[in-house]
Amino acid sequence: MRDKGYYLWLGILSVLSVLGLGAWIYQVTHGLVVTGMRNIVTWGLYITAFMFLVGLSAGGIIVSSSATVFNLPQFKPAARPAVLLSVVSILMATLFIFVDLGRPDRILNLLTSPKLNSPLIWDVIIITLYLTLSLYYLYLMGQPETGEGRLRVVAALALPTAILVHSVTAWIFGLQIARPTWHSALLAPLFVVSALDSGLALLLLVLLGLDRSGWYRVDKSLFSTLGGVLAVLIAVDVFFVFSEVLTALYPAEERLMRYVNLLLKGSLAPYFWGEILLAVIPFLLLVFRSNREKPGLVGLAASLVVIGVFLKRIWLLFSALLIPLLPYAPGVPLGSYLWPPFEFTRYYPVAWGLTGKYTPTWVEIGIFIGIFAFGGLLFMVLARAILAPGTPKESQGVSCGLTS
Amino acid sequence: MAKKYGMVIDLKRCIGCHTCAIACKLENNVPMGLFWNRVLTRGGPGLDIPEGSYPYLKREYLPVACQHCENAPCVKVCPVGATYKDPDGRVLINYDRCIGCRYCMTACPYNARVFNWQEPLRIPGHSYGSQGVPDRKRGVVEKCSFCQQLVDAGGEPFCVTCCPARARKFGDLNDPESEVSRLLRERPAERLLEDRGTRPQVYYLR
Ligand code: SF4
Ligand code: SF4
Repeated sequence: MRDKGYYLWLGILSVLSVLGLGAWIYQVTHGLVVTGMRNIVTWGLYITAFMFLVGLSAGGIIVSSSATVFNLPQFKPAARPAVLLSVVSILMATLFIFVDLGRPDRILNLLTSPKLNSPLIWDVIIITLYLTLSLYYLYLMGQPETGEGRLRVVAALALPTAILVHSVTAWIFGLQIARPTWHSALLAPLFVVSALDSGLALLLLVLLGLDRSGWYRVDKSLFSTLGGVLAVLIAVDVFFVFSEVLTALYPAEERLMRYVNLLLKGSLAPYFWGEILLAVIPFLLLVFRSNREKPGLVGLAASLVVIGVFLKRIWLLFSALLIPLLPYAPGVPLGSYLWPPFEFTRYYPVAWGLTGKYTPTWVEIGIFIGIFAFGGLLFMVLARAILAPGTPKESQGVSCGLTS
Repeated sequence: MAKKYGMVIDLKRCIGCHTCAIACKLENNVPMGLFWNRVLTRGGPGLDIPEGSYPYLKREYLPVACQHCENAPCVKVCPVGATYKDPDGRVLINYDRCIGCRYCMTACPYNARVFNWQEPLRIPGHSYGSQGVPDRKRGVVEKCSFCQQLVDAGGEPFCVTCCPARARKFGDLNDPESEVSRLLRERPAERLLEDRGTRPQVYYLR
């Protein structure tokens, strides 16, 4: 039965991945005009997903390598799924950068003429390092004869690298003087703690899933311990956001307020308040020990956290992009033009914008779903190969034994 | 001493006719939907709309293109060095190297950069730019180059030539004898978003 489910999922995810690939080919043939991005909002869903996935990746590995570094044996069972999750998420994040490029054919310029001034190059370097380390770590954990000492060295390297990966990603945004809501020293710590809570939440979900599938047994107490850690992380996350918003609100500097108002009562309010709500509810759920003992509830809280952090990525990205610093009419030429004019009025009623607008198009959503499906596919295949006990045949026996 | 090209725009002379924006578009072969140079209205909520209520009205035009910042954020962030500061103090783009990541667009405080979201479309259906203007393909960023093709041949940017109100002056900011240096000595000038620390090389006289 379980195996049937596995192949069914493989099938669904493969179809979605192929559809995503199709959407990307469509985008490459028509240009980025088929996305919702234009000259004011120059980054969209892809970069949002990139931030989100780097976070998921870093969070999982920080938790799991601390298990080895600080010698917390109760966390050990989470380590292998966590590293696997990290590897898959970081690959997905890289794919999102790739599909965002206007000239994907020139991607190798990043390697042939890198400029070390650019935080994007820092990210290329640190992600490469991180991926190598994670793969090595995964390999080591799979070897039964690996000594504890060796494992600890790799974990000790992986931990700061993971923190750096997400800090560098934050600095891509946080070092920009042109973007008032990004330009903050708190951005990197904020990113890291969001990475920790969303990464841990996703890890919990994956552990629950693996446990249900019977490939990888996880002790119930692990859920409640990790749930407790998650509650603490959520609290820190909300504290950082509060501190950031208060620092902007109190002086009420006119220009910054235009951006902050977007969050508090403007077009981004649903995302901002949604994120707060999706932090408070899981916190209230997890803060009680009796709740933490129910894996189902921990799973619910974890999924709320993951969604909440995705909302946060949305408001973080767009709060800085929606309003040009020079607020004068007619604004900025948006950059798309279709001829004959019938098409022009049908698709692009406005040629200039005083503020930005952004709605992802079906192409972007298709690519988005495609990459996530591909990630899911990769994870399932790898998890089955690496985590499931014994040979596929044996594992079949195990799952049959469980269902009967 | 190395050159530092700069521009001085006299806001008292500017009449908001958009000639410079169109001249730029023609000279530099800028496709439909994009502008390297635009004329903004400082005042009310829309183009040409003044601030205040009749008869207490106020309106001013503000032509904006790339400010060729001395401390250019766009140059710092470009991961492949496609955007660079040239020895004559201009910020230029190598269009054959740009990977289209649009990082520079988020880094520029002035929204001076535009992206080729679609296959460049020109009406009429041929290139109208002058000779020596670099070709830009779909998927790269573009912006004002102080008309590199004209200036390197000893001329001046086309917007300066075409401005009917003679509001624009171009020259070497490092040369105390140049007209731009003289104007900046004699008259109060402002630069846009000075608090961002980008040190633009475009000045506005008031
Ligand atoms: S105005 Fe913008 S594009 Fe021009 S140099 Fe300054 S930051 Fe770069
Ligand atoms: S879009 Fe082109 S010019 Fe701008 S930062 Fe990216 S590679 Fe550099």
